[in-house]
Amino acid sequence: MADVSRLTCEEVFRRLDDYLDRELSAEEMRLVQEHLDVCAVCTAEYRFERKVLDDVKEKLRRLTAPSGLLAKVQRAIGTVR
Amino acid sequence: MNMATGVTPPPGASSAADGHTIESLLVPLLGSAYRAALRLTRDAADAEDLVQEAAVHACRGFGTFEPGTNFRGWFFRILTNCFYSRYRKSRREGTQVELEDAPELYLYSQTAAIGLHAETEPAAALMDRLDAEAVAQAIDALPDEYRVVAVLYFLQDFPYLEIARILDVPIGTVRSRLHRGRRLLQQRLWTIAEDRGIVEALRRKEAKNG
Repeated sequence: MADVSRLTCEEVFRRLDDYLDRELSAEEMRLVQEHLDVCAVCTAEYRFERKVLDDVKEKLRRLTAPSGLLAKVQRAIGTVR
Repeated sequence: MNMATGVTPPPGASSAADGHTIESLLVPLLGSAYRAALRLTRDAADAEDLVQEAAVHACRGFGTFEPGTNFRGWFFRILTNCFYSRYRKSRREGTQVELEDAPELYLYSQTAAIGLHAETEPAAALMDRLDAEAVAQAIDALPDEYRVVAVLYFLQDFPYLEIARILDVPIGTVRSRLHRGRRLLQQRLWTIAEDRGIVEALRRKEAKNG
C-alpha cells in the first residue's frame, strides 16, 4: 500500500519557498526533508535555490553605514529631549 | 499622535525602558537600518534621512515600547511607516504582476538552458560572477510592495509573521509578495547577467568544456 504521508515532487515544489524560509510546520519540514533525501531532481532544485537565496542575503549585507550616521542620529534624537 | 508609531507617547517618552535607553537599543541596529533604508529609498542621502527620521520617531514613542518585547521589530515598523508616509505610499497598494511574467525556478531553468547544470554547483557558477552591486540593483528594480517585503526578509531575516506585523498586512500577503518578489528578483538577476556579458561568457565556457 502506498504511503500517503509521502509528498510528491509537485507537493514539494509548492512548498519549496516555505521550506527554504523554514516557514513550514515541523511535520511538513520533516516530510519535505524525507522527499529530498530520496529525490535527486528536487534536491538539485532545492540546492540551487538555497545557494541563490543565501548569496543574495550575504551580498545585500556587505554594505556598511556611512561613518557619520551615528553622530547624525545622536544629534537628531538629542533634539527631541 | 506620533504618525510613525501610531500611538501617543506618554511624558518622558525617551527615558529608559526596563533599564535600556533608546540609544543602547538603537545604536546596534543602525547599520542594518541604513542598509534597509538604502534599498527602500534607493538613494544614500535619502537613506540617512530616513534612518534619522525613524530614530526621532522611535525616541518620541519610546515610552510606548514594551520592555522585553522585540525592539528590532518595533523599530523597523517605525522605519517602514516613515518610508510609506515620506513617499506617500500605501502599504496595501499592489502592482499587478502577471505570474506568467515571473516564472518559477527562473535561474534554474536559464542556467540549465546554457548547459551550466553539467557543473556540480550551477548556482555558484552564476552567482559568484554577480557582485553585491548587481544584487542591490536587482532588488532596487522590484515594484515597491515586493521590495519592502524583500528588504525585511533578505536583509533582516524577519519571519513572515513578524513582517506581517511590521507592515500591518495579512501573513498571506507577505507570503505571496515574497514568493513572487523572489521570482521577479531572479528574472532581474538574469537580465543583469546578460547585460554584463556574464551569460555569454558562461555559455562560451560551457561550449568549450563540452
